[in-house]
Amino acid sequence: MALKRFSILRFAMAATAVCACCIPAQVSAQTIHLTIRCWDGDDNIPPIYSAARSFEKEHPNIKVRVESVTDSYQEKLLSEVAAGIAPDVVHMDPGNIEKYAIRKALLPLNDFIAKSKYDIGAFYKNLIDAHTFHGLLYVLPRDIAPISAIYYNKRLFDEAKLPYPDGKWTWDFHERPELREHDFLWVIHQLSKEINGRVVRWGYAPSWQDLLWQQFSLSTGGRWADDYMHPMRMQYDDPKVMRAIQFAADLTLKYHWVPSATAISTVMQSSAKQAFAEQKIAMFQSGIWEVPFLRKELLKGKPGYFDWDIAMPPAYKDGTLHFPTGGSGYAIMSSTKHPWEAWLLTQWMGGVQGQYTLAATGMAQPAIQKLSRSAPWIPGPNSPVEERTPANRLMMDTSAPMVVFGPFGTEWAESSDFATRVFSKIWDGSAQAVDVIPEANKQGQQRLDYLRHEVKRPPFNWWIGGIVALALFSSLIVWVYWPERTIVRSPKERRENRAAYLFVMPWILGVVLFTAGPMLLSLLMSVADWDIIQPAKWRGLENFREAFFVDPRFWPSLKVTLVYTVFAVPLGVAASLALALLLNVKVRGIPVWRTCYYLPSVASGVAASMIWKRIFQPDGGLLNALIYGPDGHRNFLGLAGLLHPLAETNGQVNWLNNDHLALPALTIMSLWGAGGGMIILLAGLQGVPQYYYEAATLDGASVWHRFKSITVPLISPTLFFCVLTGFIGTFQSFTQALLMTDGGPNDATMFFGLHMYKSGFQALRMGYASALGWVLFFVVLAFTVLQLRMSKWVYYEGG
Amino acid sequence: MERATLYSKLSRLLVLVILFGGAVSFIVPFYVTLAMSLKSQSELATTSMWSWPREVTFQNYHTVLTNPMVSFASFLKNTAIITVISTIGTLFGCTVVAYGFARMSFAGRDRLFLVLLATMMLPGLLTMIPSYVIYAKIHWVNSFLPLTVPAFFGGGAFNIFLLRQFYLGLPKELDEAAFLDGASHWTIFHRIILPLSGPALATVGIFTFMGAWRDFMGPLLYLNDTEKQTLELGLRTYQSLNGTKWHLIMASTVLVSIPIIILFFIGQRYFVKGIVMTGLK
Repeated sequence: MALKRFSILRFAMAATAVCACCIPAQVSAQTIHLTIRCWDGDDNIPPIYSAARSFEKEHPNIKVRVESVTDSYQEKLLSEVAAGIAPDVVHMDPGNIEKYAIRKALLPLNDFIAKSKYDIGAFYKNLIDAHTFHGLLYVLPRDIAPISAIYYNKRLFDEAKLPYPDGKWTWDFHERPELREHDFLWVIHQLSKEINGRVVRWGYAPSWQDLLWQQFSLSTGGRWADDYMHPMRMQYDDPKVMRAIQFAADLTLKYHWVPSATAISTVMQSSAKQAFAEQKIAMFQSGIWEVPFLRKELLKGKPGYFDWDIAMPPAYKDGTLHFPTGGSGYAIMSSTKHPWEAWLLTQWMGGVQGQYTLAATGMAQPAIQKLSRSAPWIPGPNSPVEERTPANRLMMDTSAPMVVFGPFGTEWAESSDFATRVFSKIWDGSAQAVDVIPEANKQGQQRLDYLRHEVKRPPFNWWIGGIVALALFSSLIVWVYWPERTIVRSPKERRENRAAYLFVMPWILGVVLFTAGPMLLSLLMSVADWDIIQPAKWRGLENFREAFFVDPRFWPSLKVTLVYTVFAVPLGVAASLALALLLNVKVRGIPVWRTCYYLPSVASGVAASMIWKRIFQPDGGLLNALIYGPDGHRNFLGLAGLLHPLAETNGQVNWLNNDHLALPALTIMSLWGAGGGMIILLAGLQGVPQYYYEAATLDGASVWHRFKSITVPLISPTLFFCVLTGFIGTFQSFTQALLMTDGGPNDATMFFGLHMYKSGFQALRMGYASALGWVLFFVVLAFTVLQLRMSKWVYYEGG
Repeated sequence: MERATLYSKLSRLLVLVILFGGAVSFIVPFYVTLAMSLKSQSELATTSMWSWPREVTFQNYHTVLTNPMVSFASFLKNTAIITVISTIGTLFGCTVVAYGFARMSFAGRDRLFLVLLATMMLPGLLTMIPSYVIYAKIHWVNSFLPLTVPAFFGGGAFNIFLLRQFYLGLPKELDEAAFLDGASHWTIFHRIILPLSGPALATVGIFTFMGAWRDFMGPLLYLNDTEKQTLELGLRTYQSLNGTKWHLIMASTVLVSIPIIILFFIGQRYFVKGIVMTGLK
């Protein structure tokens, strides 16, 4: 009998294994498979495919798989390094080299270059330097991307009777009309257009908010880090930096010449490039990679077409001009099984062939200087018509030496956020730069110091850890079996005992393997510093000290979770109960109603997040359309007035992008899933005998009385179940925040679980994340015990 | 008496009106999604999101389904494989274990059952990190194994609990009669108890199936290659590839929702019945 059961288990497991591995393995002995990963999305991927295909033609024994990851690229790659499943060749940029290099996850290219006598001198020097870490080159750069292209609409320049920009313009902290077209501010002033106090066209927009102040700051000598390659000091409070930040905000708030990022995303519902293509912005600044998009959007002969080109950004009045830059290339992961072939691929994709293909699309400026000065990058008389715009591409070569890379460094990336998150207050005008930045900078510096000064820690002793874990596990076994030690069993009972253990064995194994084991490991990890790539280090209670006293996100994220739970669970249970009571009335079409209400609970969570993102959209979203009406003047239920203090410049609120509304928005969304609880409560209600009500009605009890004295007590166990599981589940919930807001804005939806997830899988601080997990464990435990204690209101029949 | 019927008729009408209003607000998001998915990009940009498309087009669906980088057909296949295997595993695991706990006596049973109840309360987040570490170290990441194999080991504390409650409710005389005939526990389990537990199994099965089908975090953590992803994760991948192309995003959303909604309609009647039967209260 037992044998039969066991064979079923074995068969099932074998079936699982077969199905899980059913990716066909038709690898012939000679063929080598390589995977190359890049972050280019749908619009930019074709040239990479075609370069890979031409590589395959050149090397028939190598098959290349091109993967595109556009969402959380670095986090995903890092966790793949941890799991040992990283691709062979990856797209990499200077800012992220360090975190892989210190973990020895990348192969230095120097030996390959020497061996194949590769001419690295042909590349832009500063680009090679930026991709070098501790003297070793880790990335073969494929492109340099100075954020120096000002895309301008020739038609609007013609209309305003302005000459096209020749790059000789400058800017100052105030408009200088006497310089005419040589003053940048005067030009964007001329190009901006207001009708009845409402901006209908902006003169200029940076592609993202930070670009403008960074350019202003760099050009006036303001540096927000002491050393851009290895930053130790955070200097957002440098007067020059603060002045640049304030000035960038003023251009939006005081002069209305530059739209804010929120105005672009909410009022225009698009991106700067989209708004430029729709002629709502006369010029926008970005990298050269916007070209394929504009070529696709602006087709000659199609309605809405206009001529356009690119120009150099304005220098400061003293002639200084610097701007931030991108730049990327391909790196070889050290886990590859075919380093030499991976180098061949890297050399092809990152070298002349790959750069040539990319240059032809106009999307990426070649990292090899010579290529950056010739066709197809520079359009010639022989280039196809559609590749001639933008004509002024030689400008990109001129701008290459003016770029500033960085600040780089893993610690910088993690800590600068604490200084820069107050910027949103400056952009919306609720604070002045000089008032908020110094304090924020101090916070960021503290974080940087904390991360930089992690002391040398002793290695984690897994033997001792294992013994502790074993001891804890044994004590559980002792707790279970200690009372059994005196019981004497008859042979029949012993037989039953053995049979019973066969029955419950799957669960026992499951608990040991998938619950107790991970919990014990988690306990060990909570006192360790471990990225699961390098050997673990002993950190003792420092993880907990960091959580309680150092981590600036710990308490806020706990608060967000508590607030959300306290609102969402009672509201959700109340809504479920209300629905269940309604559906318990004998009306027509109950199955139809039930379906309508339950359907959202079965809908896919990702789909729901997309639908609700659209519902919460500030302009033209369903919710705002309801509140403000189609013309924007309605005041539905007085909500518009109530929400007025939180409204954006267009008079409507931006639900998911507002510190005060993002969490309520997620709460509203959670009510959409009330159907789940409804079904369970409905089942409970249908278990209440009908004659109780009939008897009570005969006695003259009112509806409320019947509800209070019959319904509630009799379904109280179900209700209690809903509340209890609701609390436990909601305390851990973070998927919707991950999908919809990613914790933002300003950490307003940084749930505890999300903080933990990010600490673990994005920063790879598995030890710290485990410590957070235990904190959550005790919070949930406390709540559960509290509720069990307070469960006197629950009525158990016969008990 | 007449007044009373009028009163009850009125209150029923009121209930109907409220039900209707509520149902509309629950269904509107679906309608909007469908409407948006059937509009062309230009119509979407110029019309209100409430409106039904002037010209219904299936072009968006065509674009979504022919994307060279993501294959919704393979997402569907992966989802089906993972879901079916883990549901089978769960049903197998929890019936056997629940029988053991409900119908047999063995050393330490009550305390083990307490452990089982405790694991129900345990925050799953706590085991998320260490489980990932373990799967990473045994090289199970980027395969279906972490999403299917654990189901065979007990099938989840909650399901065991549900079925145990159900089995406790079945008359004990059934077993005793069989015992007298010399039947073993295994025979009683699969000849007597299993055939009686159809509705309970259907409920557990449907809930497990739905849960596995809609799972997002599991695939997010454990499935890296696009061609191994499930519908839920694949939808996310597709959407991040396509940024703000709402017409495509909404079409992909509808596509992914169709199978689960069909499934729901098929299994609908088991939901309420099953929950009542298993005595979840």
